[in-house]
Amino acid sequence: MNSNDNKKTAVVECKQLTKVYKGLLAGSSRAVCALKNISLSVNKGQIVGLIGPNGAGKSTLLNLIAGLIFPTDGCLAVCGSPARTVEARRSLGYMPEHPSFLGRYSARAVLRYHGALLGLSHKTISLQADKSIEQLHMHEFIDRRCSEFSQGMKQRLALAVALMNDPQVLLLDEPSNGLDPVGIIQLRDVLKKLRDSGTAIVISSHRLGELEKLTSDYIFLYRGEVVSFGDKIIAGQAGRLRVELVSNGSYIAEKLLSPSQTIAVSDKEMEIAVDNADDVPDIISDLVKGGARLRSVNLQTEDIEDIFLRLYNERN
Amino acid sequence: MRAYELIKETFCRKLYILIVHLSWLTLYGGFYWLTLPGASEFSGYGRFIFIWGGFFLALALSAGIFGDDISSGRICVLVTKPFWPGELYIYRLLGLSLQAAVHFILAWCVIFILHALMRKGSMNGLGLWLFASWLLFNTCAALSTSLSVVVGRTYNALLLLVVIVTGYFVVSWLMVSSKQQAETGVLFSFINFACPPFKLLYKFACGEYGKYSLTVGRFSLAKSVACVVHSLILTVVYSIVGIVLLSRRQFSSERD
Repeated sequence: MNSNDNKKTAVVECKQLTKVYKGLLAGSSRAVCALKNISLSVNKGQIVGLIGPNGAGKSTLLNLIAGLIFPTDGCLAVCGSPARTVEARRSLGYMPEHPSFLGRYSARAVLRYHGALLGLSHKTISLQADKSIEQLHMHEFIDRRCSEFSQGMKQRLALAVALMNDPQVLLLDEPSNGLDPVGIIQLRDVLKKLRDSGTAIVISSHRLGELEKLTSDYIFLYRGEVVSFGDKIIAGQAGRLRVELVSNGSYIAEKLLSPSQTIAVSDKEMEIAVDNADDVPDIISDLVKGGARLRSVNLQTEDIEDIFLRLYNERN
Repeated sequence: MRAYELIKETFCRKLYILIVHLSWLTLYGGFYWLTLPGASEFSGYGRFIFIWGGFFLALALSAGIFGDDISSGRICVLVTKPFWPGELYIYRLLGLSLQAAVHFILAWCVIFILHALMRKGSMNGLGLWLFASWLLFNTCAALSTSLSVVVGRTYNALLLLVVIVTGYFVVSWLMVSSKQQAETGVLFSFINFACPPFKLLYKFACGEYGKYSLTVGRFSLAKSVACVVHSLILTVVYSIVGIVLLSRRQFSSERD
Protein backbone atom coordinates (compact mmCIF):
# COMPACT_ATOMS: atom_id res chain seq x y z
CA MET A 1 0.00 0.00 0.00
CA ASN A 2 1.57 3.30 -1.04
CA SER A 3 1.22 6.54 0.88
CA ASN A 4 -1.75 7.68 -1.22
CA ASP A 5 -3.63 4.47 -0.52
CA ASN A 6 -2.69 4.86 3.08
CA LYS A 7 -4.31 8.25 3.19
CA LYS A 8 -7.51 6.86 1.70
CA THR A 9 -7.91 4.27 4.44
CA ALA A 10 -11.11 5.07 6.31
CA VAL A 11 -10.48 5.29 10.04
CA VAL A 12 -13.96 6.44 11.01
CA GLU A 13 -16.94 4.85 9.29
CA CYS A 14 -20.57 5.55 10.08
CA LYS A 15 -23.39 3.66 8.42
CA GLN A 16 -27.02 4.68 8.84
CA LEU A 17 -26.17 6.15 12.21
CA THR A 18 -29.15 7.37 14.20
CA LYS A 19 -29.28 8.80 17.67
CA VAL A 20 -32.50 9.47 19.52
CA TYR A 21 -32.43 11.05 22.97
CA LYS A 22 -35.31 9.71 24.96
CA GLY A 23 -37.23 11.46 27.70
CA LEU A 24 -35.12 12.64 30.62
CA LEU A 25 -31.82 12.28 28.78
CA ALA A 26 -32.99 14.81 26.23
CA GLY A 27 -34.00 17.17 28.99
CA SER A 28 -37.61 17.04 27.87
CA SER A 29 -40.52 14.65 28.08
CA ARG A 30 -40.46 13.77 24.38
CA ALA A 31 -37.85 11.92 22.33
CA VAL A 32 -35.54 14.02 20.20
CA CYS A 33 -33.86 12.64 17.11
CA ALA A 34 -30.39 14.22 17.20
CA LEU A 35 -28.97 12.33 14.21
CA LYS A 36 -30.83 10.68 11.34
CA ASN A 37 -29.29 7.96 9.17
CA ILE A 38 -25.84 9.47 8.93
CA SER A 39 -23.41 7.66 6.66
CA LEU A 40 -19.91 9.00 6.19
CA SER A 41 -16.27 8.11 6.51
CA VAL A 42 -13.14 9.96 7.53
CA ASN A 43 -9.82 8.89 6.05
CA LYS A 44 -6.31 8.80 7.40
CA GLY A 45 -4.57 12.15 7.13
CA GLN A 46 -7.83 14.03 6.62
CA ILE A 47 -9.02 17.01 8.61
CA VAL A 48 -12.79 17.27 8.65
CA GLY A 49 -14.65 20.29 9.95
CA LEU A 50 -17.95 19.50 11.61
CA ILE A 51 -20.16 22.52 11.10
CA GLY A 52 -23.78 23.42 11.55
CA PRO A 53 -26.05 25.64 13.61
CA ASN A 54 -26.71 25.04 17.29
CA GLY A 55 -28.60 21.81 17.86
CA ALA A 56 -27.59 20.35 14.50
CA GLY A 57 -26.04 17.24 16.07
CA LYS A 58 -22.31 18.09 15.93
CA SER A 59 -21.52 17.24 19.54
CA THR A 60 -23.73 14.17 19.34
CA LEU A 61 -21.76 12.87 16.36
CA LEU A 62 -18.46 13.61 18.12
CA ASN A 63 -19.68 11.94 21.31
CA LEU A 64 -20.77 8.88 19.34
CA ILE A 65 -17.37 8.54 17.70
CA ALA A 66 -15.71 9.02 21.10
CA GLY A 67 -17.93 6.27 22.51
CA LEU A 68 -19.46 8.51 25.15
CA ILE A 69 -22.98 7.73 24.00
CA PHE A 70 -24.61 4.77 22.25
CA PRO A 71 -26.16 4.97 18.80
CA THR A 72 -29.86 4.17 18.65
CA ASP A 73 -29.37 2.55 15.28
CA GLY A 74 -26.66 1.99 12.68
CA CYS A 75 -22.97 1.09 12.80
CA LEU A 76 -19.96 3.10 13.80
CA ALA A 77 -16.40 1.84 13.54
CA VAL A 78 -13.15 3.49 14.59
CA CYS A 79 -10.07 1.96 12.96
CA GLY A 80 -12.12 -1.12 12.11
CA SER A 81 -13.39 -1.72 15.66
CA PRO A 82 -16.87 -0.86 16.91
CA ALA A 83 -16.91 2.46 18.78
CA ARG A 84 -16.72 2.26 22.58
CA THR A 85 -14.64 -0.94 22.51
CA VAL A 86 -11.17 -0.90 24.09
CA GLU A 87 -9.61 -1.44 20.62
CA ALA A 88 -11.41 1.62 19.22
CA ARG A 89 -10.43 3.76 22.20
CA ARG A 90 -6.80 2.76 21.77
CA SER A 91 -6.76 4.72 18.48
CA LEU A 92 -8.64 7.72 19.83
CA GLY A 93 -7.65 11.07 21.23
CA TYR A 94 -10.50 13.21 22.52
CA MET A 95 -10.52 16.82 23.57
CA PRO A 96 -13.80 18.02 25.11
CA GLU A 97 -15.22 21.50 24.65
CA HIS A 98 -14.78 22.42 28.32
CA PRO A 99 -11.74 20.58 29.63
CA SER A 100 -11.58 20.12 33.37
CA PHE A 101 -8.69 18.94 35.54
CA LEU A 102 -8.24 18.32 39.23
CA GLY A 103 -7.13 21.67 40.59
CA ARG A 104 -4.31 20.39 42.76
CA TYR A 105 -2.58 18.56 39.88
CA SER A 106 0.10 20.35 37.88
CA ALA A 107 0.01 20.13 34.09
CA ARG A 108 2.91 17.67 34.24
CA ALA A 109 1.05 15.52 36.79
CA VAL A 110 -2.03 15.54 34.54
CA LEU A 111 0.03 14.30 31.61
CA ARG A 112 1.61 11.60 33.79
CA TYR A 113 -1.83 10.59 35.08
CA HIS A 114 -3.37 10.26 31.63
CA GLY A 115 -0.28 8.52 30.30
CA ALA A 116 -0.66 5.96 33.06
CA LEU A 117 -4.35 5.49 32.24
CA LEU A 118 -3.31 4.78 28.67
CA GLY A 119 -0.96 2.10 29.94
CA LEU A 120 2.21 3.86 28.74
CA SER A 121 5.56 3.22 30.38
CA HIS A 122 7.32 5.88 32.49
CA LYS A 123 9.80 6.49 29.70
CA THR A 124 7.13 6.90 27.01
CA ILE A 125 5.13 9.22 29.24
CA SER A 126 8.18 11.43 29.79
CA LEU A 127 8.95 11.49 26.07
CA GLN A 128 5.38 12.27 25.09
CA ALA A 129 5.09 14.94 27.78
CA ASP A 130 8.31 16.63 26.60
CA LYS A 131 7.07 16.50 23.01
CA SER A 132 3.75 18.11 23.96
CA ILE A 133 5.41 20.77 26.07
CA GLU A 134 7.59 21.68 23.10
CA GLN A 135 4.83 21.51 20.46
CA LEU A 136 2.19 23.38 22.44
CA HIS A 137 4.53 25.84 24.15
CA MET A 138 3.57 24.78 27.65
CA HIS A 139 6.91 25.56 29.32
CA GLU A 140 5.58 28.46 31.30
CA PHE A 141 2.85 26.62 33.12
CA ILE A 142 3.86 22.97 33.04
CA ASP A 143 4.61 22.88 36.77
CA ARG A 144 1.78 25.14 37.86
CA ARG A 145 -1.43 23.89 39.46
CA CYS A 146 -4.39 23.49 37.13
CA SER A 147 -6.54 25.59 39.50
CA GLU A 148 -4.50 28.61 38.37
CA PHE A 149 -4.97 27.96 34.65
CA SER A 150 -6.63 30.27 32.16
CA GLN A 151 -9.01 28.81 29.57
CA GLY A 152 -6.26 28.88 26.95
CA MET A 153 -3.87 26.94 29.18
CA LYS A 154 -6.57 24.35 29.83
CA GLN A 155 -7.15 24.01 26.09
CA ARG A 156 -3.45 23.40 25.43
CA LEU A 157 -3.25 20.86 28.23
CA ALA A 158 -6.39 19.11 27.00
CA LEU A 159 -4.88 18.84 23.53
CA ALA A 160 -1.64 17.51 25.02
CA VAL A 161 -3.68 14.88 26.91
CA ALA A 162 -5.49 13.91 23.71
CA LEU A 163 -2.16 13.48 21.92
CA MET A 164 -0.48 11.35 24.60
CA ASN A 165 -1.08 8.06 22.76
CA ASP A 166 -0.29 9.37 19.23
CA PRO A 167 -3.90 8.73 18.21
CA GLN A 168 -4.93 7.73 14.71
CA VAL A 169 -8.18 9.63 15.17
CA LEU A 170 -8.26 12.94 16.98
CA LEU A 171 -11.62 14.40 18.01
CA LEU A 172 -11.62 18.08 18.92
CA ASP A 173 -14.61 19.99 20.25
CA GLU A 174 -14.09 23.75 19.84
CA PRO A 175 -10.31 23.46 20.22
CA SER A 176 -9.53 27.16 19.80
CA ASN A 177 -11.85 28.27 22.64
CA GLY A 178 -10.00 30.75 24.82
CA LEU A 179 -6.75 30.61 22.83
CA ASP A 180 -4.98 33.85 22.01
CA PRO A 181 -4.03 34.55 18.37
CA VAL A 182 -0.55 33.09 18.86
CA GLY A 183 -2.07 30.01 20.47
CA ILE A 184 -4.46 29.62 17.54
CA ILE A 185 -1.60 29.77 15.05
CA GLN A 186 0.39 27.24 17.08
CA LEU A 187 -2.64 24.96 17.28
CA ARG A 188 -3.05 25.19 13.51
CA ASP A 189 0.59 24.23 12.97
CA VAL A 190 0.30 21.26 15.30
CA LEU A 191 -2.85 20.01 13.58
CA LYS A 192 -1.29 20.38 10.12
CA LYS A 193 1.74 18.36 11.23
CA LEU A 194 -0.53 15.67 12.65
CA ARG A 195 -2.51 15.55 9.42
CA ASP A 196 0.72 15.18 7.45
CA SER A 197 1.74 12.31 9.69
CA GLY A 198 -1.52 10.51 8.87
CA THR A 199 -3.75 11.39 11.81
CA ALA A 200 -7.41 11.85 10.96
CA ILE A 201 -8.82 14.89 12.73
CA VAL A 202 -12.47 15.71 13.27
CA ILE A 203 -13.05 19.25 14.53
CA SER A 204 -16.38 20.57 15.70
CA SER A 205 -16.25 24.33 15.67
CA HIS A 206 -18.24 27.48 15.15
CA ARG A 207 -15.07 29.37 14.18
CA LEU A 208 -15.44 28.89 10.47
CA GLY A 209 -12.57 31.18 9.53
CA GLU A 210 -10.21 29.03 11.56
CA LEU A 211 -11.52 25.82 10.02
CA GLU A 212 -11.07 27.24 6.56
CA LYS A 213 -7.36 27.63 7.19
CA LEU A 214 -7.08 23.95 8.07
CA THR A 215 -9.30 22.12 5.64
CA SER A 216 -11.67 22.21 2.73
CA ASP A 217 -13.49 19.10 3.92
CA TYR A 218 -16.62 19.78 5.90
CA ILE A 219 -19.58 17.91 7.24
CA PHE A 220 -22.48 20.34 7.33
CA LEU A 221 -25.11 19.09 9.72
CA TYR A 222 -28.58 20.50 9.94
CA ARG A 223 -31.22 19.14 12.29
CA GLY A 224 -29.45 15.83 12.56
CA GLU A 225 -28.91 15.29 8.86
CA VAL A 226 -25.83 15.62 6.70
CA VAL A 227 -26.58 18.40 4.26
CA SER A 228 -23.22 18.34 2.61
CA PHE A 229 -20.10 16.27 3.08
CA GLY A 230 -16.55 16.49 1.76
CA ASP A 231 -14.97 19.18 -0.37
CA LYS A 232 -18.04 19.34 -2.65
CA ILE A 233 -19.40 21.82 -0.16
CA ILE A 234 -16.79 24.21 -1.58
CA ALA A 235 -17.09 23.03 -5.19
CA GLY A 236 -20.89 23.19 -4.98
CA GLN A 237 -20.98 26.89 -5.67
CA ALA A 238 -17.96 28.83 -6.73
CA GLY A 239 -19.54 32.15 -5.91
CA ARG A 240 -20.57 35.20 -7.88
CA LEU A 241 -19.22 36.63 -11.10
CA ARG A 242 -19.15 40.41 -11.11
CA VAL A 243 -19.09 41.84 -14.65
CA GLU A 244 -18.66 45.51 -15.59
CA LEU A 245 -19.99 46.42 -19.04
CA VAL A 246 -19.87 49.43 -21.29
CA SER A 247 -23.66 49.44 -21.67
CA ASN A 248 -26.87 47.38 -22.24
CA GLY A 249 -26.39 45.19 -19.20
CA SER A 250 -30.11 44.77 -18.47
CA TYR A 251 -30.93 43.83 -22.05
CA ILE A 252 -28.14 41.27 -22.32
CA ALA A 253 -28.99 39.70 -18.96
CA GLU A 254 -32.61 39.30 -19.99
CA LYS A 255 -31.59 37.72 -23.29
CA LEU A 256 -28.84 35.36 -22.04
CA LEU A 257 -29.28 34.61 -18.35
CA SER A 258 -31.91 32.70 -16.46
CA PRO A 259 -33.55 34.44 -13.44
CA SER A 260 -31.84 32.00 -11.04
CA GLN A 261 -28.44 33.00 -12.39
CA THR A 262 -29.03 36.71 -12.08
CA ILE A 263 -28.21 38.23 -8.72
CA ALA A 264 -28.15 41.93 -9.63
CA VAL A 265 -28.32 43.73 -12.95
CA SER A 266 -27.94 47.31 -14.14
CA ASP A 267 -26.92 48.75 -17.52
CA LYS A 268 -23.26 48.86 -16.53
CA GLU A 269 -22.94 46.00 -14.09
CA MET A 270 -24.23 42.56 -13.46
CA GLU A 271 -23.71 39.88 -10.80
CA ILE A 272 -24.13 36.28 -11.87
CA ALA A 273 -24.38 33.25 -9.60
CA VAL A 274 -21.84 30.65 -10.65
CA ASP A 275 -22.33 27.00 -9.75
CA ASN A 276 -18.83 25.96 -10.61
CA ALA A 277 -15.66 27.95 -11.26
CA ASP A 278 -15.09 25.86 -14.39
CA ASP A 279 -18.22 27.40 -15.96
CA VAL A 280 -16.81 30.94 -15.92
CA PRO A 281 -15.06 30.86 -19.38
CA ASP A 282 -18.29 29.60 -20.99
CA ILE A 283 -20.36 32.33 -19.36
CA ILE A 284 -17.98 35.04 -20.52
CA SER A 285 -17.88 33.56 -24.01
CA ASP A 286 -21.71 33.54 -24.17
CA LEU A 287 -21.84 37.16 -22.99
CA VAL A 288 -19.36 38.28 -25.62
CA LYS A 289 -21.17 36.32 -28.34
CA GLY A 290 -24.41 37.92 -27.19
CA GLY A 291 -22.96 41.38 -27.85
CA ALA A 292 -21.76 42.40 -24.43
CA ARG A 293 -18.74 44.70 -24.32
CA LEU A 294 -16.94 43.82 -21.13
CA ARG A 295 -14.92 46.27 -19.13
CA SER A 296 -13.86 43.95 -16.28
CA VAL A 297 -14.68 40.52 -14.86
CA ASN A 298 -14.19 39.51 -11.27
CA LEU A 299 -15.02 36.10 -9.74
CA GLN A 300 -15.82 36.34 -6.05
CA THR A 301 -15.61 32.91 -4.49
CA GLU A 302 -17.58 32.02 -1.41
CA ASP A 303 -15.74 31.53 1.80
CA ILE A 304 -16.95 28.97 4.31
CA GLU A 305 -19.01 31.57 6.15
CA ASP A 306 -20.89 32.39 2.94
CA ILE A 307 -21.42 28.70 2.27
CA PHE A 308 -22.62 28.15 5.81
CA LEU A 309 -25.09 30.98 5.52
CA ARG A 310 -26.24 29.85 2.10
CA LEU A 311 -26.83 26.28 3.24
CA TYR A 312 -28.51 27.52 6.38
CA ASN A 313 -30.74 30.00 4.57
CA GLU A 314 -31.72 27.40 1.98
CA ARG A 315 -33.23 25.39 4.84
CA ASN A 316 -34.97 28.20 6.64
CA MET B 1 0.65 2.05 36.93
CA ARG B 2 -2.99 2.77 36.01
CA ALA B 3 -4.20 1.25 39.25
CA TYR B 4 -1.68 3.26 41.24
CA GLU B 5 -2.65 6.57 39.60
CA LEU B 6 -6.40 6.01 40.03
CA ILE B 7 -6.09 4.85 43.64
CA LYS B 8 -3.75 7.74 44.44
CA GLU B 9 -6.10 10.23 42.80
CA THR B 10 -9.03 8.96 44.86
CA PHE B 11 -7.00 8.73 48.05
CA CYS B 12 -5.83 12.34 47.81
CA ARG B 13 -8.99 13.66 46.20
CA LYS B 14 -10.21 16.38 48.51
CA LEU B 15 -9.00 18.24 51.55
CA TYR B 16 -12.33 17.92 53.34
CA ILE B 17 -11.85 14.17 53.52
CA LEU B 18 -8.73 14.69 55.61
CA ILE B 19 -10.65 17.11 57.83
CA VAL B 20 -13.44 14.57 58.31
CA HIS B 21 -10.86 11.92 59.19
CA LEU B 22 -9.21 14.12 61.77
CA SER B 23 -12.56 15.16 63.22
CA TRP B 24 -13.66 11.62 63.72
CA LEU B 25 -10.35 10.71 65.31
CA THR B 26 -10.84 13.59 67.72
CA LEU B 27 -14.27 12.17 68.49
CA TYR B 28 -12.72 8.82 69.21
CA GLY B 29 -10.27 10.39 71.59
CA GLY B 30 -12.83 12.64 73.25
CA PHE B 31 -15.34 9.90 73.66
CA TYR B 32 -12.79 7.53 75.10
CA TRP B 33 -11.56 10.20 77.50
CA LEU B 34 -15.02 11.20 78.70
CA THR B 35 -16.70 7.86 79.06
CA LEU B 36 -14.08 5.59 80.48
CA PRO B 37 -12.93 6.68 83.90
CA GLY B 38 -15.57 5.80 86.42
CA ALA B 39 -18.41 5.79 83.96
CA SER B 40 -21.07 3.32 84.96
CA GLU B 41 -22.01 2.73 81.34
CA PHE B 42 -21.74 4.40 77.98
CA SER B 43 -23.84 7.42 77.41
CA GLY B 44 -26.40 6.87 74.69
CA TYR B 45 -25.13 9.91 72.85
CA GLY B 46 -21.52 8.88 72.89
CA ARG B 47 -22.25 5.40 71.71
CA PHE B 48 -24.40 6.75 68.93
CA ILE B 49 -21.63 9.02 67.68
CA PHE B 50 -19.05 6.31 68.01
CA ILE B 51 -21.03 3.72 66.14
CA TRP B 52 -22.64 5.90 63.50
CA GLY B 53 -19.79 8.30 62.95
CA GLY B 54 -18.15 5.76 60.70
CA PHE B 55 -21.13 5.53 58.41
CA PHE B 56 -21.59 9.26 58.13
CA LEU B 57 -17.93 9.42 57.30
CA ALA B 58 -18.22 6.64 54.74
CA LEU B 59 -21.07 8.34 52.96
CA ALA B 60 -19.49 11.77 53.08
CA LEU B 61 -16.29 10.37 51.65
CA SER B 62 -17.58 8.22 48.88
CA ALA B 63 -20.79 9.83 47.74
CA GLY B 64 -20.33 12.03 44.77
CA ILE B 65 -17.00 10.65 43.66
CA PHE B 66 -18.35 9.85 40.19
CA GLY B 67 -20.95 12.60 40.35
CA ASP B 68 -18.11 15.08 40.66
CA ASP B 69 -16.37 13.59 37.61
CA ILE B 70 -19.58 13.55 35.62
CA SER B 71 -20.65 17.11 36.37
CA SER B 72 -17.17 18.51 35.72
CA GLY B 73 -16.89 16.60 32.43
CA ARG B 74 -13.66 14.83 33.46
CA ILE B 75 -15.41 11.49 33.06
CA CYS B 76 -15.71 12.13 29.29
CA VAL B 77 -11.94 11.96 28.95
CA LEU B 78 -11.55 9.08 31.42
CA VAL B 79 -13.99 6.78 29.62
CA THR B 80 -12.36 7.37 26.24
CA LYS B 81 -9.18 5.76 27.58
CA PRO B 82 -8.56 2.16 26.49
CA PHE B 83 -9.55 0.22 29.58
CA TRP B 84 -12.62 -1.47 30.99
CA PRO B 85 -14.81 1.08 32.87
CA GLY B 86 -15.06 -1.41 35.73
CA GLU B 87 -11.40 -0.71 36.49
CA LEU B 88 -12.26 2.91 37.08
CA TYR B 89 -14.92 1.88 39.58
CA ILE B 90 -12.79 -0.72 41.34
CA TYR B 91 -9.75 1.54 41.75
CA ARG B 92 -11.91 4.40 43.00
CA LEU B 93 -13.44 2.07 45.58
CA LEU B 94 -10.00 0.79 46.55
CA GLY B 95 -8.81 4.38 46.99
CA LEU B 96 -11.70 5.08 49.36
CA SER B 97 -11.16 1.80 51.16
CA LEU B 98 -7.49 2.61 51.63
CA GLN B 99 -8.41 5.99 53.09
CA ALA B 100 -10.69 4.26 55.56
CA ALA B 101 -8.04 1.67 56.40
CA VAL B 102 -5.55 4.43 57.21
CA HIS B 103 -8.21 6.16 59.24
CA PHE B 104 -9.03 3.06 61.28
CA ILE B 105 -5.35 2.32 61.90
CA LEU B 106 -4.90 5.89 63.14
CA ALA B 107 -8.00 5.48 65.31
CA TRP B 108 -6.51 2.35 66.85
CA CYS B 109 -3.29 4.26 67.54
CA VAL B 110 -5.16 7.17 69.16
CA ILE B 111 -7.13 4.84 71.44
CA PHE B 112 -4.04 2.79 72.23
CA ILE B 113 -2.11 5.90 73.30
CA LEU B 114 -5.00 7.12 75.45
CA HIS B 115 -5.36 3.69 76.97
CA ALA B 116 -1.65 3.49 77.71
CA LEU B 117 -1.65 6.94 79.30
CA MET B 118 -4.78 6.47 81.40
CA ARG B 119 -4.31 2.83 82.25
CA LYS B 120 -8.05 2.30 82.27
CA GLY B 121 -10.56 0.49 80.13
CA SER B 122 -9.82 -2.38 77.82
CA MET B 123 -8.32 -2.75 74.39
CA ASN B 124 -9.96 -6.11 73.99
CA GLY B 125 -11.58 -6.59 70.65
CA LEU B 126 -10.74 -3.10 69.40
CA GLY B 127 -8.93 -4.42 66.34
CA LEU B 128 -11.83 -6.68 65.51
CA TRP B 129 -14.33 -3.86 65.97
CA LEU B 130 -12.36 -1.56 63.71
CA PHE B 131 -12.02 -4.33 61.14
CA ALA B 132 -15.78 -4.77 61.14
CA SER B 133 -16.19 -1.01 60.83
CA TRP B 134 -13.83 -0.99 57.86
CA LEU B 135 -15.82 -3.78 56.18
CA LEU B 136 -18.96 -1.78 56.68
CA PHE B 137 -17.26 1.29 55.37
CA ASN B 138 -16.46 -0.61 52.17
CA THR B 139 -20.09 -1.68 51.87
CA CYS B 140 -21.35 1.88 52.34
CA ALA B 141 -18.71 3.23 49.98
CA ALA B 142 -19.71 0.71 47.29
CA LEU B 143 -23.38 1.64 47.72
CA SER B 144 -22.87 5.38 47.56
CA THR B 145 -20.29 5.15 44.75
CA SER B 146 -22.80 3.18 42.71
CA LEU B 147 -25.48 5.75 43.45
CA SER B 148 -23.16 8.57 42.39
CA VAL B 149 -22.85 6.99 38.93
CA VAL B 150 -26.56 7.59 38.49
CA VAL B 151 -27.12 10.82 40.39
CA GLY B 152 -24.24 12.62 38.68
CA ARG B 153 -24.27 15.92 40.54
CA THR B 154 -21.38 17.65 42.25
CA TYR B 155 -23.15 18.19 45.54
CA ASN B 156 -24.96 14.90 45.75
CA ALA B 157 -22.95 13.77 48.79
CA LEU B 158 -25.16 15.58 51.25
CA LEU B 159 -28.31 14.50 49.44
CA LEU B 160 -27.26 10.85 49.52
CA LEU B 161 -26.22 11.13 53.11
CA VAL B 162 -29.57 12.54 54.18
CA VAL B 163 -31.66 10.22 52.01
CA ILE B 164 -29.90 7.00 52.95
CA VAL B 165 -29.58 7.68 56.66
CA THR B 166 -33.11 9.04 56.93
CA GLY B 167 -34.43 6.13 54.89
CA TYR B 168 -32.66 3.64 57.09
CA PHE B 169 -33.98 5.22 60.27
CA VAL B 170 -37.53 5.48 58.97
CA VAL B 171 -37.58 1.86 57.83
CA SER B 172 -36.02 0.72 61.12
CA TRP B 173 -38.62 2.67 63.08
CA LEU B 174 -41.43 1.21 60.98
CA MET B 175 -40.04 -2.23 61.57
CA VAL B 176 -39.85 -1.78 65.30
CA SER B 177 -43.34 -0.31 65.53
CA SER B 178 -44.87 -3.12 63.50
CA LYS B 179 -42.78 -5.95 64.81
CA GLN B 180 -45.67 -8.22 65.58
CA GLN B 181 -47.18 -8.20 62.12
CA ALA B 182 -46.39 -11.16 59.89
CA GLU B 183 -46.12 -9.14 56.67
CA THR B 184 -43.12 -7.23 58.00
CA GLY B 185 -41.07 -10.43 57.79
CA VAL B 186 -40.06 -9.74 54.19
CA LEU B 187 -39.12 -6.19 55.08
CA PHE B 188 -37.08 -7.45 58.01
CA SER B 189 -35.24 -9.84 55.75
CA PHE B 190 -34.60 -7.11 53.24
CA ILE B 191 -33.23 -4.75 55.88
CA ASN B 192 -31.09 -7.44 57.42
CA PHE B 193 -29.65 -8.90 54.27
CA ALA B 194 -29.85 -6.34 51.45
CA CYS B 195 -28.92 -3.17 53.34
CA PRO B 196 -25.49 -2.62 54.82
CA PRO B 197 -25.33 -4.66 58.05
CA PHE B 198 -25.64 -1.73 60.43
CA LYS B 199 -27.48 -3.84 62.96
CA LEU B 200 -24.81 -6.49 63.03
CA LEU B 201 -22.16 -3.89 63.66
CA TYR B 202 -24.27 -2.34 66.36
CA LYS B 203 -24.49 -5.67 68.11
CA PHE B 204 -20.86 -6.20 67.45
CA ALA B 205 -20.02 -2.90 69.07
CA CYS B 206 -22.21 -3.48 72.08
CA GLY B 207 -20.83 -6.95 72.55
CA GLU B 208 -22.03 -9.68 74.81
CA TYR B 209 -19.63 -9.00 77.66
CA GLY B 210 -17.91 -6.18 79.44
CA LYS B 211 -20.29 -3.25 79.22
CA TYR B 212 -17.61 -0.97 80.73
CA SER B 213 -15.23 -1.73 77.93
CA LEU B 214 -15.35 0.61 75.00
CA THR B 215 -14.60 -1.90 72.33
CA VAL B 216 -15.91 -5.27 73.40
CA GLY B 217 -16.32 -7.07 70.08
CA ARG B 218 -17.05 -10.44 71.59
CA PHE B 219 -19.24 -12.23 69.12
CA SER B 220 -18.88 -15.90 68.67
CA LEU B 221 -16.67 -16.95 65.80
CA ALA B 222 -19.67 -17.96 63.74
CA LYS B 223 -21.30 -14.54 64.18
CA SER B 224 -18.07 -12.74 63.37
CA VAL B 225 -17.60 -14.76 60.21
CA ALA B 226 -21.23 -14.13 59.27
CA CYS B 227 -20.72 -10.39 59.69
CA VAL B 228 -17.61 -10.42 57.54
CA VAL B 229 -19.14 -12.57 54.82
CA HIS B 230 -22.32 -10.52 54.77
CA SER B 231 -20.36 -7.28 54.37
CA LEU B 232 -18.18 -8.74 51.65
CA ILE B 233 -21.12 -10.14 49.71
CA LEU B 234 -22.95 -6.82 49.87
CA THR B 235 -19.83 -4.92 48.82
CA VAL B 236 -19.45 -7.18 45.81
CA VAL B 237 -23.14 -6.95 44.89
CA TYR B 238 -23.23 -3.14 45.18
CA SER B 239 -19.98 -2.93 43.18
CA ILE B 240 -21.31 -5.12 40.39
CA VAL B 241 -24.39 -2.90 40.17
CA GLY B 242 -22.15 0.19 40.07
CA ILE B 243 -19.89 -1.27 37.38
CA VAL B 244 -22.85 -2.27 35.22
CA LEU B 245 -24.34 1.22 35.62
CA LEU B 246 -21.02 2.85 34.75
CA SER B 247 -20.57 0.67 31.67
CA ARG B 248 -24.05 1.46 30.42
CA ARG B 249 -24.05 5.14 31.34
CA GLN B 250 -23.98 7.73 28.57
CA PHE B 251 -21.89 10.71 29.46
CA SER B 252 -23.20 13.52 27.41
CA SER B 253 -26.63 14.57 26.35
CA GLU B 254 -25.50 17.80 24.73
CA ARG B 255 -27.07 18.26 21.38
CA ASP B 256 -25.09 20.80 19.42
